[in-house]
Parts: sequence; C-alpha cells; structure tokens
Amino acid sequence: MKNIIRALRTERGWSQQELADRLDVSRQSVNAIETGKYDPSLPLAFSLARLFGRSIEELFDDGTGAVEAAE
Amino acid sequence: MTQHKGFRTANRRYQFLFWPMMMFYVAIIFAVATFIDKVSAPLWLRTAGALAIAVPLFGALYAVRRLTDETDEYSRMRHLKALRDGGMITAGVLFLVGFLQVFNVAAEFTAVWFGVLYFAAYGVSAGLQKFGRTV
Repeated sequence: MKNIIRALRTERGWSQQELADRLDVSRQSVNAIETGKYDPSLPLAFSLARLFGRSIEELFDDGTGAVEAAE
Repeated sequence: MTQHKGFRTANRRYQFLFWPMMMFYVAIIFAVATFIDKVSAPLWLRTAGALAIAVPLFGALYAVRRLTDETDEYSRMRHLKALRDGGMITAGVLFLVGFLQVFNVAAEFTAVWFGVLYFAAYGVSAGLQKFGRTV
C-alpha cells in the first residue's frame, strides 16, 4: 500500500531508526512500511497517525478510492 | 494470548534468556562429554547427562517462543516465517531420510541432528530475510 511515511519522516529530519524507536518497532519494520512491502496493523497505523498528527487516510492510500466514496 | 511488549523490551528479554541458555548448553556439553562415558557409565548417569543437555535447549526454544509473542508485528511475522521455513525443511528432510531408511537405502541417522537442522534452517531463513530475499 502506498503511503507518505517516508516523506513525513524526512520532513522531520528523522532517520528510520529514530522513527522505529518512537514507535518501539524494528528499523526493518519502518523500512518495510515505507517501501510498501508491509501494511501495518490498525494499532500501528493509529500510532503512526498520532505521531505525525494526520489521519490514517492521509497516511495510506489503498488505491481503490474507497475513502473518497465513503465521504 | 499475545502479550505485546514492543521491539526493544522483547529483544532485551530474549537476549537475557537465550544467551545464558546457550552458554549453559555449551558448558553442559563439555562437562557431560568429559565426565560421562556414553557406553560404560550407569544408565541413570547417562540419562541425567542427556536430560541436562536438553534442558537449556528447552530454555532457548522458550526464549524464541516468547520473542514471537512479545515483539512488534513485523518482526513477529519475519520470525514466524523463518520458523515455518525451518520446520518445513526439517520435516522434508525427516520424510526423505525416513523413506530412504524404510527402503533400506540410507543407514541409521542420529535423530538429534534433526534438531540441529531445525535451528540451522531457521537461522538461514532469518538471515535471508535480513537481506530482503523472502520478505
């Protein structure tokens, strides 16, 4: 799933390790999420959303347009 | 029931249990090999030696199990995939050797090597994942 995690992270000047430490996950987890190899669970997605002050829909794009349709 | 503790805590708890168990295992192996004759020692002593070697391995296996319970979700997935691969490779080799023995093609095979193979296959699979080969 596409996301803007990398952009938000670099905007804040954080390394992948720093973001991983803030989320208490492994650096590999952050890398896998950023590259779209792994889609996080809802609790982790909420943690990311809270950390960046955005909604989950703003962070992740599943490409189906379901979010816009629901609105 | 999964008790998620986060990557750092889970990893620390794993290291604090796994490595002492491994050091204990190595020490026991040397002690048993040095002081117990596998052929002439009394049965109770040979039994005790075998059990003493197995106990730290149970501890190490429990450490891995606990790690998969407590670590973050992506690390858990990677560990479980590696454990799955290790289990499947071991089961595959076990079937292969077993059938070769049934048909009198292969000679006797010491069962303890299947445990070694499991750990080795788990380690190789986890290592390959680190380089992004499988995940």
